[in-house]
Amino acid sequence: MNILEIKHLTKKFGDFIAVDDMSLTVGEGEIFGFLGSNGAGKSTTINMISGLLRKNNGSIKMLGKETNKHPIFIKKHIGLVPQELAIYEDLTAYENVSFFAGLYGLRGEKLRSRTIEALEFVGLAEKHKSYPKSFSGGMKRRLNIACAIAHQPKLIIMDEPTVGIDPQSRKYILQSVQKLNEMGCTIIYTSHYMEEVEEICTKIAIIDHGKIIADGTKEQLKSLITDSKLIYIDVKDTDHVDIDAIKAIPGVANVTLAENTIQIHTELGANNLNQIISYFIENKIEIRTLDEKEPNLETVFLTLTGRTLRDA
Amino acid sequence: MNILKIAWKEVKHDFRDIRTLVFMIAFPIVLMLILGTALTGAFDGGDFDDNIALDDMTVLYENSNEPIQQPFDAFTKELEKSGIHFERLSKGTNGKDQVEENQADAYLSIDEDGAKLYLNDQNSIGGSVIQGSLASFVDQYNLITEISKAAPEKLDTVLTASTDHDYIKDQTLLPDQQPGSMDYYAIVMTTMIALYAAISAAHLITQERSRHTADRLMIAPIKKSEIFMGKLIGSIAINTVCIALVVAFSIIFFHANWGEHLGLVALILLTEIIMAISFGLGLSFLFKTPTAPMPVIMIVLQLAAFFGGAYFPIGDADGLLKLMTNISPLTLENDAMFQMIYANDLSLVIPAIAMNLGISLLFLVFSTFALSRREGL
Ligand SMILES: Nc1ncnc2c1ncn2[C@@H]1O[C@H](COP(=O)(O)OP(=O)(O)O)[C@@H](O)[C@H]1O
Ligand SMILES: [Mg+2]
Repeated sequence: MNILEIKHLTKKFGDFIAVDDMSLTVGEGEIFGFLGSNGAGKSTTINMISGLLRKNNGSIKMLGKETNKHPIFIKKHIGLVPQELAIYEDLTAYENVSFFAGLYGLRGEKLRSRTIEALEFVGLAEKHKSYPKSFSGGMKRRLNIACAIAHQPKLIIMDEPTVGIDPQSRKYILQSVQKLNEMGCTIIYTSHYMEEVEEICTKIAIIDHGKIIADGTKEQLKSLITDSKLIYIDVKDTDHVDIDAIKAIPGVANVTLAENTIQIHTELGANNLNQIISYFIENKIEIRTLDEKEPNLETVFLTLTGRTLRDA
Repeated sequence: MNILKIAWKEVKHDFRDIRTLVFMIAFPIVLMLILGTALTGAFDGGDFDDNIALDDMTVLYENSNEPIQQPFDAFTKELEKSGIHFERLSKGTNGKDQVEENQADAYLSIDEDGAKLYLNDQNSIGGSVIQGSLASFVDQYNLITEISKAAPEKLDTVLTASTDHDYIKDQTLLPDQQPGSMDYYAIVMTTMIALYAAISAAHLITQERSRHTADRLMIAPIKKSEIFMGKLIGSIAINTVCIALVVAFSIIFFHANWGEHLGLVALILLTEIIMAISFGLGLSFLFKTPTAPMPVIMIVLQLAAFFGGAYFPIGDADGLLKLMTNISPLTLENDAMFQMIYANDLSLVIPAIAMNLGISLLFLVFSTFALSRREGL
């Protein structure tokens, strides 16, 4: 069963189209990854699903109901972890979670036990009397998550929950996402970190300029580009590298430059490695290392958009 | 239910904000203390418990009813003690004109048909005091006049009864109940700080936006109107508690006189708080950034405080000063208080409350309209 069905969703800010005729479905029990660079339209899409933004066009159905026709019903079943921290600094961790959970109709003993559960889940039970002022960035992020799950929503939407935190907290959060999923929650997880999405998501949509340019399981996405591979060449100095000259080599689909690394995206059976190396030798550009990579989501993204996730 | 939860949350985290408490409670108390003691000299000879400007008050009177002169003298002797001097009007002068020209504070005319009182400025503190203290005399006298016309033989008994100090005892005006400088500042500082509730109100919604908690509130299965009402009620509650503490403090430690009608005092202050909050809230919807309304609010509050007599009593005003004084909502607020407390005169209570609620309604209607048009909070 599909928990979410989006059809022809569009959002404009003035003349700028942030989400462009987007359609997608999220099945129940999925960890659905929303992968896209900054400004791709991930948050805008999510804010329309959760009812924070009005859509200009299209339809959003959750649990079989039109979201804008049954807002209260829909809201009860959604938990949103906003991209920006949304907690009260002058309420304790417990009070933060309890206040928001209370708005979902929880009361008394049930409210108390769910609040504690949520804090335990994110590993903040011992800090429940502390104020977020004294928390590290990672702890605040975890509290931000706890505030979204205490009411036990069917669909949890997390908007870049790991931005700017230490590796340990990040690991903790990724594990929590999987645990929530095992407990029966459907999760929409947005990120511009390809590794995260690849690690935990069961389905992935790649979004760029407000459009979904590919979606499916990671295997399906990778199979889109089984006919290509990625060659990384580290050089001493990229000043004299002529990207267009490399692109002219038969079989080369795309070339990008990041610091001292040249990423060459080439067809699998082109047998052009010799020619590529010759280019560097002829132009007296010293090669330090050379690496060939199997297709991954980064390659997929690169192939589809012509850009890397980071520099897009 | 949701409204109460949000209101309670508001109360909780505002009371943890030390700045709010210092500003809303400590600040007015310290100002009362400083102004109330430092400016005592401006009010009288320097005695803390003495009265305001009453030393200089003069009431001109004219009496063509000789039999009444003796009881009248007895009565005025009481009032001399509290600083109201009585002078017989010299022949050939017009009492009303003299009052208008500020030669005297009041003119009382007594003849066989009754007594009449003319005041220069009814709304000044002095005016209220004179009015309050003479009202009973005027009433009694008019009663006696009517009796003497209808049943002259009873007049003697009535007159002897009246020469007791009954009609003075009836008054709130007793020497120790006149507004000392501390009494004055207790009232004007309280009405001033109630107006300052506008500042925190201007942050009420914008703070939720800047903390991004507005998003959390908006995705919860509650109505926008519930969020608005909850925040409004919470803010009213916090400010009411702060003002109540300030009043209690002024009574306990400064022995400030808040009069007999504490319920009405509370009602005026409560409606004033609602007005201030509505004003701040309204302005926050008028501007795009959260900081933009602040200078406007501060200027309005400072002017209202100054011209409303928060720093020193504004006496006789002319022209622009008079206009500004009349525009300041604190003028009506304070006049209503002083008349009620020192002259037992409740006539300005309803106008003050009506003004507070009227202005509140205006800004609340605007705020709800602006909020309903916004995407999000
Ligand atoms: N309120 C807004 N007004 C105008 N433009 C906006 C607004 N919100 C987002 N945008 C623009 O829409 C695009 C998509 O933004 P967003 O959905 O936040 O991207 P992402 O979450 O994928 O990084 C960006 O170019 C952003 O600048
Ligand atoms: Mg975003």
